[in-house]
Order: sequence, then structure tokens, then C-alpha cells
Amino acid sequence: MGPPPVFTHMGGQCKLIRVTALPWLDVLDATIGACVDHHRPDLANRLRQKRSHLLEPTLRVPVVGEPNQGKSQLVNALINAPVCAVGDHVTTPAPIVIGHAHSPVATLVKEPPALDGAAGAQRREPIAVEEIAEQIVARTAAPPSARGELVRTEVGIPRQLLAAGLVLVDTPAVDDLDSIRSASMFAAVSQADAVIVVSAATRELSASELALIEAVSRLCPTVVVVLTKIDIAPLWRRVAERDRARLASAGIQAQVIPVSAMLRLAAARSGDEALNAESGFTDLVSYLQREVIGKPELLARRSVTVLAGMAVQQLLAPLHQTVTATPAAGTSEAIAKWQTAQRQVDQLRKDSAAWQTMLADDMADLAADIEFDLRDRTRRILREVDRFFDEADPLTDWDTFAEWLDESLAEAIDVNFAWLVERFDWITGRIGRDLESYRDDVLPGSLREIDDSLLDTAWQLERPRVERFTLSQKVFVGLRGSYGGLLMFGLATSLAGWPLINAVSLGAGVLFAAKSIYDESGSRLKRRQAIAKATAQHHVDDVFLSFSKDTKDIVRQQQRKLRDHLTATAERLRVEILATAQSAKRAADMDVAEQQSRAAKAKSEIERLTKLHGQITALVPGGVKLPGPRRRLTA
Amino acid sequence: MSGLLDQVWTMLNRTLEVYRDNPRASHWLRRQADRLDGPLRIAVVGQQKAGKSTLVNALVGEHVAPLVAEDGPAMVWYRAGATPRATVFGRGVEPQERPAERLGGRLSVDLGEWRGEQIDRVVVDWPARGLRGMTLIDTSTMDKVAAAEADAVLYLAQHLQAADLRLLQAMQDHPIAMANPVGALLVLSRADEVGAGQLDALFGAKRLARQHRRDARIRGLCQDVVAVTGLLAFAGRALRQPEFDALAVLAFGPRAEVDGYLLSADRFAGAEFPVAVDAEMRRALLDRLGLFGLRLSTALIRQGFDTHTALCAELVARSGLTELRAAIGRCFTERAPVLKARSAAIALEVVLRMEPRPEALGLAAELERILAGAHDLRELRLIATLHAGYPVLPDELSAEARQLLGGDGVSLPARLGLAEEEPTASGLRHAVVAALRRWREQAENPILDESARSAAAVVVRSCEGMLASVSG
Repeated sequence: MGPPPVFTHMGGQCKLIRVTALPWLDVLDATIGACVDHHRPDLANRLRQKRSHLLEPTLRVPVVGEPNQGKSQLVNALINAPVCAVGDHVTTPAPIVIGHAHSPVATLVKEPPALDGAAGAQRREPIAVEEIAEQIVARTAAPPSARGELVRTEVGIPRQLLAAGLVLVDTPAVDDLDSIRSASMFAAVSQADAVIVVSAATRELSASELALIEAVSRLCPTVVVVLTKIDIAPLWRRVAERDRARLASAGIQAQVIPVSAMLRLAAARSGDEALNAESGFTDLVSYLQREVIGKPELLARRSVTVLAGMAVQQLLAPLHQTVTATPAAGTSEAIAKWQTAQRQVDQLRKDSAAWQTMLADDMADLAADIEFDLRDRTRRILREVDRFFDEADPLTDWDTFAEWLDESLAEAIDVNFAWLVERFDWITGRIGRDLESYRDDVLPGSLREIDDSLLDTAWQLERPRVERFTLSQKVFVGLRGSYGGLLMFGLATSLAGWPLINAVSLGAGVLFAAKSIYDESGSRLKRRQAIAKATAQHHVDDVFLSFSKDTKDIVRQQQRKLRDHLTATAERLRVEILATAQSAKRAADMDVAEQQSRAAKAKSEIERLTKLHGQITALVPGGVKLPGPRRRLTA
Repeated sequence: MSGLLDQVWTMLNRTLEVYRDNPRASHWLRRQADRLDGPLRIAVVGQQKAGKSTLVNALVGEHVAPLVAEDGPAMVWYRAGATPRATVFGRGVEPQERPAERLGGRLSVDLGEWRGEQIDRVVVDWPARGLRGMTLIDTSTMDKVAAAEADAVLYLAQHLQAADLRLLQAMQDHPIAMANPVGALLVLSRADEVGAGQLDALFGAKRLARQHRRDARIRGLCQDVVAVTGLLAFAGRALRQPEFDALAVLAFGPRAEVDGYLLSADRFAGAEFPVAVDAEMRRALLDRLGLFGLRLSTALIRQGFDTHTALCAELVARSGLTELRAAIGRCFTERAPVLKARSAAIALEVVLRMEPRPEALGLAAELERILAGAHDLRELRLIATLHAGYPVLPDELSAEARQLLGGDGVSLPARLGLAEEEPTASGLRHAVVAALRRWREQAENPILDESARSAAAVVVRSCEGMLASVSG
């Protein structure tokens, strides 16, 4: 079989001329360019497809509608040939594309179902025009799997109506029961120059039909609503009137043409001109000739106006958003950050001064308290010492005493030091908590520990120099005491004539000696006790002095360490916060600058696109009215 | 076979007892009790201009719908009564009776000041044989209220579309209703307008109905699909002698010329006309029959249906009304107790769910048990499945199973296929025992698959029930 049927068009020539200088083509190309510029390849592709369809020399007019409204019958009546299968039990499975040819010719275009995801190669099978309807009837009965192959049927027949390049497409019925067929209908509409929506005149347009017309007019603005079956609908005039009103209130510009295919076919059989006129087809044909075939340029302009206009609107929407978003720059995130950072620096400055004062106060308090505590403790020890040595003889009890004193002092110092550590820990803890509000790790643990190596605990209690009452001393003291008594009583008795040395004087001498020895040893004990007390006091004073000096040193040292650390930390924090603030400020500045530049760019783009939109709308002098924004149909 | 109804009655009374102190619930439950007592309610629903009123007229046999031309009430109930009467139930006011009478063969109601929005429903009592055993509810809105008021639904659609299926589904949007899709018939209406109004349009519509019946999406939503031409059916029932005479004049007039004028409604009603039928009569005929009906009637008269009675009978037969009546009988009226019990069960479930209270917990459980165990519902489900042509059972068994399940009528002879002669008690018993034995075998037949065996078990259960009633 020869090549597939190629429609011949008498109008082809004039279409070629059309291509040379077309305002709508320039506008369309500009819109495609804008779509590409704005990274909307989806829009660009859609427009490119439309562009290629518009440049084709044919005028495609699909016939769409809900099931059993008489679409196929309408096509048959228009071309006066039973090409499409009709009947309530027959549904057109795939589009039938009818164009002009010098002799009747038809081809089935089949595509094997894609098994592995890739589309199979299309096959073209020639078929006799008379057999198409039979084929479709047979196909309807066949299981869906066998139907799937057919993509479309191409038919060429010699008709004057088609000769100018008109191509009628009988489409499968629209019904959301069968979305695949609806998809093929919408594909046909998107390639269309004008669309015929078919609705039976036996009832008014239903909500779903109205929605269909709206959807179609978005893809192809030239829509004509054909009311079929007016032969069996006695009230068709009222229906047509109401349909017109409904379309108008929905904002859809569509001609309503009532027809009867049955009358037309009957007229064709009998050659009855009056009947033909009555069928309404003369109106429809003349409409097609006048508005479609006669004004291909206008149709193209309208299509471009709608599609390019919609594309530009879609491009404009985000730009408008950019522009309106600019005044809100002051509240942008970067600026907020910068302001926060500034506030933080101020706060830090105040805080670090407060910390230093607090630290100094705390440490002074600490030193005073510690010293007082230590003094108190040592005083108590000294009182003990006094009490002890009122009784005890250092000569015999010194060792026990020394041991006790050491222990007491050590305990006092320990407790005192522990208290120091505790107080210091509390102070550092308080400062640490304040610092934590800035950073977590600002107070290293080493600062909270006190270096006790400075403490000199190796003091030695020296034994006081206490003299023993030796035998020779006793003898000497005794002799000294006995001398007085002996002499006193010897002299007294000598008066009595007794010799100087007699028993009485000797006895008295012994008594005196004993007394003076006793006296001497008592005073010696007192002296020893005094010495011991003094020694102990000295020792305690020494220890107190040395320890309190040590603790003072420690406190000062810790204070210094803490102060230095606080100063360093505050400085570091300040630097950090300032760095953040500065970077935030830079970002904020940049943000504002960028937003401004973006807004400026958006504004210029909006201007450009608005100009383009103006050009687009100028294509059709009166403009193309489109249905309002899509809303839910509740009626 | 009214065990289910009795059980639901008992349940209803017990629930009323429990909710005695709740005025809302007890009011609702008392309405259900009234409903259980009354005739089966069948709602005629469908999108606008689907032919609802025409079908109601055809079923009643007289021009009763629509009540008013414009802005009518959302629901009109037609029930059998001795004299024409109309009662308007307004929203929040006492029911009010309005004058109604038969005027020129049609119902004429004066609604007075009442307008569509204010009216909840209008109940029309109408003396007509067609209303025996059922209450027809003509709806003008597509809400679910009408479906909730009805025990069964006639869903009308000219061409079945996805929107119709969604609506049909929404009407059965209740767990009990979904589990028992036994209350709906799909009616392909206005079959005369399908195609191009050619004489074979009715056959085409019937073919379409058969196609839909096999469609899995539709099968689950209704029990059967019937194609009906409401206009023809009504014409067949209400055609008057003068109208027939005029038709006869048309039929026997110069054929070529008359056919020319039958090409379009405009031509037929136009000023010129070749035969002696005046314009008024022509308009009346067009109104009565439609162009398709005119063509068909003249053709039929020429074919020999040349008396008033014969033509009317043929019109009714061709319109599909007979099939619809049979389907209503088979699926609805003969099963009325089960359908009413089902509606009441749905209503009970609503009360128990919306107003839960501890003493009602047992009732809910018992309701569930009753529904799960109801053999009548299982029978209906299986009939629906078999009717839809779903291959549960082998073909040779399928027909018999349907008959035994009561698919062709629920009386004993009908179930046993002994409808022709008057069967004796022993004959019946013999037949039941034979059927029971056959189906017991099938229920254990290893060749059949699981679903077929369980279907056979349902048939066995039906046979056992019959045996009990024969012996009883």
C-alpha cells in the first residue's frame, strides 16, 4: 500500500503566505522566550506545541462532549457520510480525524501496547472508509485489551467544507468514568483551532458539561456549543435560550447553534433544501466557514492571546510576590540577628562589670570571715591551754599537751580551710552560672580548685626551757633555809645557855630547810607553768599568723585568677558576639541590597511582561473573554 | 421468612425501653416503628431531568408528578389511599392538609402559600392500584435524606456517569447498607432519547442495561439495571381514546407525507399538517408520547396493534415498565420485610452509635449478631451476585440456585419452579427434599471452588428453611 493519506488543502498556499509575517508569531515567540528565561520549561513546551499546531496549514476542529450526545452523528451529518459509528451502544474508542482528500481513503493508526514502558512503533493499516463504522462496532464488543491498540483513525474524503484545510476530529466521549478517553479528548483540544462542544437539546447543559466547556475554553478559546437532536426535543428553543444564559453567566463566550443531524441526513437523502435549513446545519456550516475557515488568522490570534496570556500571568504572579515582599526587609532575619547581637554586647559589658565587683566583694568578705573564724578557733584553744596549765606541770605533762595542741590546731585549720573551700566554691559557682547565660564552658574546673600547696603546715611546737629542781639545788636551798632556822634557834637557845648547835636549833634548821625547799619547788612550778603557757601561746600565735597569711595569699591568688579569667572571657565573648553581629549586619545589608536588586529586577521584568501581555491582548481587538477563576460547581 | 423482621421488632422495642427518657432518640425510634408497620418506601432519585416524575407517573398510572411545575417540595410521598389527599409537612410546624383533587385525569394540589424551601415533604394519598404495597417518594434534590427515608431506591440516569455512581454510593454510605447492597435498582431512563430517536432506540437501551449489569463498578451498587422509557410507559397507561383515534388517523394517512412531518417536533407541531388532526391534539400527542413515541405508535398501529387496548399494552411492554415492575417486585416488594428490617437495623445502629449508654452495649452486639446471622440478607446478597452474572456457580447450577433462593419469587412453588400447576403438600415436600439433597452434594462437591461451595451452602440453608415451612 502506498503512503498514508495526506490531506490535500486548497488553503495550503495562503497559509504559507501567512507564515511569513505574523504578529502573533512574534508575540508567541517572545512569550516562549520569557518562559525559558523564567525557568518554566513546562509553559514553554506547551506554547511550543501550540506554535507548531498553529503553523500547520490545517484547521483542526475537534468535536467533544459527554457520551451519547450525538457527536459522531454530528460529524457524519457535517460531512454527509456515515464515517463515524453511531448508536447508543457504540462509543468512539479513539479519535477519528477527518480531512480532505481527492478520493475517499482511510487509515487505522495502531500502536502496540507498551509492554516495557517504551512506546511501540506505530503501525498504519489502510481500511476502506465504509468499513470504519463496522470496525468500531466490532471493537466495542471486543475486550478492552484488543481495543487498546488503536490510536486514531485518519480519514480523507472529498468534501468542499474540508477543502479549505478544515479537519474534523470525532473524539471519545468525556466521562470521568473513563479518564484515558478524556485525556485523549483533551489532547485533541489542545491541538485545536476551534472546538465544537456537543450537547443534546433534550435537556439543558448539565453542571459537568458546563465544567467541560470551561476547561476546553482554557485550552482553545474558540468554542461553539452545538445542541443536537432538536428534532426530538419539542422544547429545544427554550433549552437553547437557557443554555445561552447559563454560558453568559459563567462568563463563557460561546456561540450556541441548535441542529438536528437526523433532519440533515434526511434532507441529504431527499435533497430538500428547506429541511436542510431546518436542521440548523446551514447555520453551523456557515459559522464554520465564516468564523473558522474564513478567519484562521483570528483563531490563531485568539489562541495565542489566551495561552500566551495565561503563561505570562503565571510568570507575573511570582514576580509580583517578590515586589510586594520588599518593604518587609526591615524585619528580615539577618537584621534581627544583628540587633540581637548588639543587645548581647551591651548586656555583656554590664554583666562583666557586675561580675568583677561581685567577685571583689565576695573575696573580701571571704578573707574577713575566714580570719575571724580562725581567730575564734585559736582563742578557744588558748583558753584550753590556760586551763590545762593551771593544773598540770609542764615538766611531766608536756608531751601529752604537745600532742593535744597539735591535734587541736590541725583540726581548727582543717575546718577553717574546708570552710574556705566551700565558700570559694559557692562564689565561683555563682559567677559560673551568670557566665553560663553566655556560654556553657566559660568557667574551667581548674579555677574552682584551690591550690593548697601554699599552705605551710609543717610547724613545730618547741619544748619550753623549764628547769628541773635538782638535788644539789634542793640541798642548796635547804641549806640556805636551814641556816636561818639554825642560827635563829641556836642564838635563842644560846641565851638559855645551850650551845649554838643543839638539838632544837638543829631541828629548827631541818624544819626551815624543808619549808624553803617546799616553797622553792612551788614557785618553780608556777614559773614552769607560766613558761609553758607562754610557749603554747607563742606557738598558737605563730600558727595563726602563718596560716592566716597563707589563706589570705590563697584567696588573693584565686581572686586574681578568677578576675583575670572573667576579664578574658568577657573580652572573648564580646569579640565573638561582635563578630556575629558584624557578619549578621553584613548579611542584613546584603539582604536588603539583594532584595532591592531583586525587586528592581522583578519590576523591570514585570514591565517587560506587562508590555508583552499588552501585545498579546492587542492581537484580538475586542479581547478574549475567559471564564472567571475556576470554582466548584455546585449547581 | 420474616424471622429477621421479628428480631428487629424485638430489638426496636428493647431499644425504645432503654432510651425511654431520651425524647430525641425515642421520637426517632418511634418513627422507625411506624415505618416498620407501613408499606415499603421506594425513593425515585436521580439527577435533574433524569425523568423521575415521568417514571413516578408511569408507575402510578396517572399524572401525579410533579406536584407543581416550579419550586416544588424536595420530597413528595405517594401512597395508596381511598381519596385524593395532600398533607404538607413544613419544617418545624404542624402538618397541614391542603386541598387535592383529581382534575382531568391528573392530580391537582393547591399548595397555597407553601414554597419549596419551607416544605419538608408532601404526603399525597392517591387511589391507584399501582401504589399498592409501596410508598413512592419523588425527590427533586439529590441529597441523602430521601435515601435515608426510603427502604429501597430507584436510581434514574440517562447515561450512567461517574457522578451517578458516586451519588449511588453516597446513598449507601452506611456500614450496614454497604454490607448488604440490596436496596437499589438502576434505571436507565429516557431510553427514547438515546441514540437518535430511531425505532431501535429501546433495544439499544436494553442492550446498554445488560452491559451495565455486567459492569463490576455498577454491580456492587445495585441489584439490577433496567432500561425504561417513562414517557412511553406512562402514555401506555394513560393514553385516552381520542388520542388513540388521532394516532390512528396519522398511521393510516398518506405515509410519506406524515413521515415527513414526523421528522421533527417542530414540523409535527407546526401550522400545516396533511391530515385532519388539529394542532391542539398534535401538541397534546407530542406532549404525551414525544416524537419517538409518535413514530413508534404509528408504526405499531400499522403493524396491527390497531385498537386502543392493544396499542397501550404494546407501548407498556416496549417501554420496559413491565421489566421494571417485575424487578421492583422481585427485588423490593416481595422482600419488603427484609428491606424494612434492614432500614430499621440501620436506624437502630445510628441511635446506638450516636447516643451510647452502658445498658445499650449489649443491644449493639446483639444487632450485629442478628445482621450477621440473617439468612434472608445472605440470600439477597447471593441473588444479587448471581443476577449480576458473576460466575460464582457454574451456569447450569446458577439458574436453579437463583430460583431456590427466591430470585424469581419468594413463594414456595415459585422457589421450587412448580408455579404452573397447583402443587400438593406432598409434592412440595418431595421437591424440597430432592432439592436439598442435590444442593447438599454441591456444598461438598470437591470440584467446585470455595466461593461456589459457600454459595451452595446458602442454597442448602434456604432449602432447609423451606422444608421446615412445609413440615411446619
